[in-house]
Amino acid sequence: MRTGAAAGHQGYYHEAVRYGSDEELLAVVVPFLLDGVGAGEPTFVALGERTGGLVRAALPTGSGVEFLTGGSVYARPTAAIRSYRELLHAQVTAGAGQIRIVGELPTATFGATWDWWARYESAINHAYDDFPLWSMCAYDTRITPPHVLDEVARTHPRFATPDGAHVPSLAYTEPTVYLCEDRGAPPDPLQTAPPLVELTDPTAAQARAAVYTVDRGALPADDVEDLVVAVSETVTNALRHGRPPVRLRLWAGPDRIVATVTDEGAGPKDPFVGLLPAGDGATGGLGLWITYQSCNHVSLHRGGPAGFTLRLTAGNPH
Amino acid sequence: MSGPVVLDCRDGAPGVTSEMGASTPYGHVCWVHDDPAPFHHAAQAFLTAGLAAGERLWYVAAGPAEPVVARLSAVPALRDALARGTAEVVSVGDTYRSDAVVDGPTQVRAYADATEAALADGFRGLRVVAEATPLVRTPAQLDAFARYEHLVDRYMRARPFSAMCGYDRREIGSRAAAELACLHPETNAPEASFQLYACDSQGDRAGLAGELDLTAEDLFTTALERADLRPVDGRLVVQAPGLRFIDHRALLRLHDYGRRRNASVVLRSPHATASRLAGLLDLPGLTVEVTG
Repeated sequence: MRTGAAAGHQGYYHEAVRYGSDEELLAVVVPFLLDGVGAGEPTFVALGERTGGLVRAALPTGSGVEFLTGGSVYARPTAAIRSYRELLHAQVTAGAGQIRIVGELPTATFGATWDWWARYESAINHAYDDFPLWSMCAYDTRITPPHVLDEVARTHPRFATPDGAHVPSLAYTEPTVYLCEDRGAPPDPLQTAPPLVELTDPTAAQARAAVYTVDRGALPADDVEDLVVAVSETVTNALRHGRPPVRLRLWAGPDRIVATVTDEGAGPKDPFVGLLPAGDGATGGLGLWITYQSCNHVSLHRGGPAGFTLRLTAGNPH
Repeated sequence: MSGPVVLDCRDGAPGVTSEMGASTPYGHVCWVHDDPAPFHHAAQAFLTAGLAAGERLWYVAAGPAEPVVARLSAVPALRDALARGTAEVVSVGDTYRSDAVVDGPTQVRAYADATEAALADGFRGLRVVAEATPLVRTPAQLDAFARYEHLVDRYMRARPFSAMCGYDRREIGSRAAAELACLHPETNAPEASFQLYACDSQGDRAGLAGELDLTAEDLFTTALERADLRPVDGRLVVQAPGLRFIDHRALLRLHDYGRRRNASVVLRSPHATASRLAGLLDLPGLTVEVTG
């Protein structure tokens, strides 16, 4: 049985908290958490160090609220979805009628990688809807850029406010619509120079070999190997499902390798591509789901004159 | 910084090449050719190496023996070996039942008998070049012969028997060439991006080398079926020191293969990515051990 504002709701009850002061954050979050443990519901906090400390200090000793390590949870969107789904599944299997979570994306996600975190915020409306989850995503309006707050309004069905209200977000857009929009990321500065390698219609094996040719030893070997997997899958997918020609371009900088794979098609039809595994992989969805977990940033660029581009970054994308 | 390297791969110009390994751990080579001359050259070198190692030599010719004898006799050492009976050229029909579907176990026994006879006669082993094209002309022949290739590969792990199997691509086509070549530890055939080979004579351990991606998925599935690995204590082990790439599809195939044989599968790979992929796929019964 569900309690609080989510009582009677089926599936995921997804809210954002836009707070302008620490007091506003605590006014929303502390009652939410204490009501959860009071109702016997598994109740979690996945905040950053500073805000997590604030909340911890505001809770009574031995409150029963569990603190997750926010930074590692939010390393990559697809991995976050996977680990949260595992957590939620375990809680439901153990008999939970509702699970409560307060989470917060690290501020680094508001920069060059915001596009895939915006996709995350939208996709989880679907990805967590199998579970009786009530979560609040906290955004500090003092440090969150306006364009990010605009996307927060479009990806969260409702807002929780310090006065205890739960207000529908008028800008909320269904994920099946939102995720099909072009949400390209800004160009990586490396892309202002010609690529080190450009291949037209490479085989996946040729694409893999090309990644090794631009590796200058700046990245850990495992990061390069993971990028090799990602490039291989992305090229395989483009050759199989895209429209030729397929072009692979590679750039290398002091702290990262950037790859783009372009074809002249419209891109994957699955709005959740990369964020959720697609069945048995027959549509290529499993390969892109792996790709999303093998890179530090993946951005989709749809609808331009060049067709569809997937950009992959190993190393530091920020 | 230099300008970009721009390559158009549509004509296959910068293709990935598959090279013969430098070492011949036990000598089971698949040589696929469009032009017989390089095959003849490679066969002569293969036999000459066997001669130096003190082995008995057989050349199983697809056609009449006489032209092969004449060709081999151009190499003085082989000419002398033919003269004293150390080397022998036989027609394929004398060694295999050429118009029938090969019976793998029977054929392996025949070579085992010949190997033991060679040892009894004081040789260090038996080395064979086989022009096997006539033996794989129909789908049924191909399937049986490919299965036999892995069976005899197991025998080679236990006894001093080695072979170079020659196939004419112009007659059997690239797909059949790939199906045969991938079941040899060594090949010159670029069609085979990977090699699945025996690691022992029992059949619960296989070796895996090369690259496995979507383009190899069907071939890998077929090769695994034909290798027909036999679990011991509910376990199959795939040793892959020469594995350069493996994707999630191949891991799923390995997992499924073990499941249908009621066996767990251990893949020993030098690549940590294989382990990470297996972790993402959450495949109980498939373990990836990173060998470093």
